[in-house]
Amino acid sequence: MSTFDIFLQQLVNGLLLGSFYSLIALGYSMVYGIIKLLNFAHGDIYMAGAFVGLIALSFVSGIVGAGWLGILISMVFSMIAVGLLGVLIQRAAYRPLLNAPRLSILITAIGVSLVLYNSVMVLTDGEFKAFTTDLGFAGVGLGNVHITYTQIILVLATAALMISLNLFISKTKYGKAMRAIALDKDACRLMGINVNKIIAITFFIGSALAAAAGIMAGVYYGSIHFFMGFVLGLKAFTAAVIGGIGSIPGAMIGGLVLGLLEAAGTQLPFIGSEWKDVFAFSILILLLVFKPTGILGKTETERM
Amino acid sequence: MSKKYFGLVALVLLLSLTLFGCGGQQAEEQPGGNEGQAEEINYDGEIKIGLMIPLTGSEATYGKDMENAMKMAADEINAEGGILGKKLVTISGDTAADPQQSTSAATKLVSSGVVSVVGGYSSGATLPTLNVFADANIPQVIPVANSTKIIDENPGNAIQINGTGFHQAEKALELFEGIWDVEKLAIVHQGDGYSEDLAKLTKEAWEEAGHEVVAFEVINKGEQDFSSLVTSIKSKNPDAVYWTAYYADGALLIKQLRQGGFQGEIAVGDGSNSPKLMEIAGNAAEGVVCTSNPMVEYLPAAKEFMENYKANYNQDPGPYSSLAYDGMHLMKDAIERAGSTDGDAIIKALKETEGFQGISGETTIADNNALANSNFVLLEAKGGQWKLIE
Repeated sequence: MSTFDIFLQQLVNGLLLGSFYSLIALGYSMVYGIIKLLNFAHGDIYMAGAFVGLIALSFVSGIVGAGWLGILISMVFSMIAVGLLGVLIQRAAYRPLLNAPRLSILITAIGVSLVLYNSVMVLTDGEFKAFTTDLGFAGVGLGNVHITYTQIILVLATAALMISLNLFISKTKYGKAMRAIALDKDACRLMGINVNKIIAITFFIGSALAAAAGIMAGVYYGSIHFFMGFVLGLKAFTAAVIGGIGSIPGAMIGGLVLGLLEAAGTQLPFIGSEWKDVFAFSILILLLVFKPTGILGKTETERM
Repeated sequence: MSKKYFGLVALVLLLSLTLFGCGGQQAEEQPGGNEGQAEEINYDGEIKIGLMIPLTGSEATYGKDMENAMKMAADEINAEGGILGKKLVTISGDTAADPQQSTSAATKLVSSGVVSVVGGYSSGATLPTLNVFADANIPQVIPVANSTKIIDENPGNAIQINGTGFHQAEKALELFEGIWDVEKLAIVHQGDGYSEDLAKLTKEAWEEAGHEVVAFEVINKGEQDFSSLVTSIKSKNPDAVYWTAYYADGALLIKQLRQGGFQGEIAVGDGSNSPKLMEIAGNAAEGVVCTSNPMVEYLPAAKEFMENYKANYNQDPGPYSSLAYDGMHLMKDAIERAGSTDGDAIIKALKETEGFQGISGETTIADNNALANSNFVLLEAKGGQWKLIE
C-alpha cells in the first residue's frame, strides 16, 4: 500500500468510527442543551438499542431474512422502543429532580447507567452475543482502498438521520420550542409551551438516535455485549464537548474530528497503536485549552 | 404492620433457601461408587494423597471440576488394585485460589500425613505453598499454574505438567515456520499481563529464529472498532497475524481484518479457543488456527474420560480437569516406579518422568522440573468448529 492509499483508507476508517461517535454525541448535546444534564446513561441507551435490535432481528429474520430489509425493520422497532425507554427514564429519574441541584441529577444519571448495564449483564449472563446478519464483505475498491457496501450504507444512514434531525429542529414547531427552552425554560412556560412534553420529545429523539447507532454497531461489528456503551459513551461525550456541548452541528463535527484523530493516532510512525488514545486526547486537551467552549460552542449561545 | 409481616416472611423464605441450598451442596460432596468397589479388594493399608484445589471463591467451579476428575482417577486406580497394593485415599485442601488460604490448606494437608500432593490451581495461590511442601519433603504434581515464576521458585520437590507461555510460543513457531512458512509476522495483544506476556515471548522467539516482527500492536479492552489498526497492519504487509488474547475481541479483530481485505494467515492464542470465536466472527474465522492448551473436547485420547466424567457427574469436565486427571495417574505411576512411599524416591521418579502417556498428551519432565515438550495443540476453525490439526 502506498502512503496515499493508507491515508485514504484511514480517512474512511476515521469517518465511519466518527459517524458512530456523532450519532451518540447528538443525544448528549441535545439533553445538555435543554436541561443542562450530562446524561451519563446515554452510552447504555446505545447498548440497549443494540440488544433490542438483536431481539427484533431474531424475530424478523424468520420472515424477511437478516438482510437490509430485516435490519431496517428491527432498527425502526428498536428506535421506537428505546426512544420510549428514554422518555420513561426521563419521567421516572430526571423530571422529579429538574429543580434540584445539578449534582443530584448527575448522580442519578450515573445510577441509571448502572441499573441499565447491570440489568443487561444479568439478563445475558455477561456474555458476548453474536449479531448475525446476511451481509457480506463485498464492496468497492479504489486501488488498495477497500470500502464495503455495509460501510457505505451505514455512513449514508447516519448522514440521513442527522439531516432529518437538523430539519426537525430548524423547521418544525417542536424544534422551535426546543430551541426556545434551551434559551429560557421559565419564559417558555409563561408563553404557554408545554415544557415537559418538549423535554420528553428531546429524550425520545436522543435515545432513538443512540439506538440506531447501537444496531448499526451490531450489524457492523457482529457482536454486542452489556459493556459496549461504556467506552463508546465516554468517547461520544468527549466528541460532544469538542464540538461545543449543546450545539447540534458541533456534536456532528466533534464526532468526526475524534474519529479521524484516533485513526491518525493508530498510524503514527515509530510509536504504534498503544499511543493512539494518548495522541487523540492530547490534541483534545490542546484544543480545549485554546477554545474552552469547543469548536462551535459560544459562551452565550442559543443552545439548540 | 403488613410491611413488617412481609419482611418477616421474606426473611424466613430467604433463610430456608440458604439452609436448603447448603444441605444440597453437602450431599453432593460425597461422590458415590467409592465404597462398593473398594470392599472387594484387600488393600495393604492406605496411601493418602492431598489435592490442592479452590473449592470456594471465584474459581470454585474449576476447582470442583478438577476434584471430580482426580477422584475419578483415584477410583480407577483403586479398582485396579491401588498403588503398591495400598488403597489410595484423597484429602482435599481448599485453596480458594488465594495465597493465604492455600498456605493454610497446604499446612493442613502436611499435618494430616499425605504422602504426596496433586494440585495447584493458579500461580498466585501455588507459589507460597511450594516451600510448605518442600520443607516436609512432600512430592507435588502441579497441573494448572502457568506462570514461568514457578520454574524459578520451585525448590525441587514439585513438577509442573501444564505448558507455560514458553511452550505456547514454541507451538506458535512450529505453526508459523513448519506449516505456514511465514516470514513477516504481526502480533496483537490486549495489554493485560497474560496476553502481553505471550506476545512478548512469541516476539522474542520469532526474532531469535531469524524472522521479522513487522507490527507489535495492542487493542484497548472494550473498544469495537479496530479498522484503523487493520489498515496500519495491512500497510506493513505481514504474512500472518497472531492474536494472543481472548475470543470476544479476537473475533472482532478477525472479522475486521478480513473486512479490510487482509489475505494472510491468522492465528490466535489459547484465550481464544472458545467456539464463540467462530459464532461471532462467522465466515471470517474459517481457516484461523488456535494454539490451544489440550482441551478434552478435541483430544481423541480423552474420549473415554469425557464419557465417564459425564456419566459420573452429569456435566462437562471443564477446561482443566484433564490435566488434573493426568496428574493423579502420573503420581501413581511415579510412586510405583519409586517402589516406595519415601518422599525422596518419589521426587526422583517424578523428575525422571519420560514419555508418560496421559489423556492430554505425552509428559516428559525437563531439568527445570517443567514440561520438556510443548503439550499445546493446534486447532483449525473449519465450518464453525475447532478441529485438531494432527
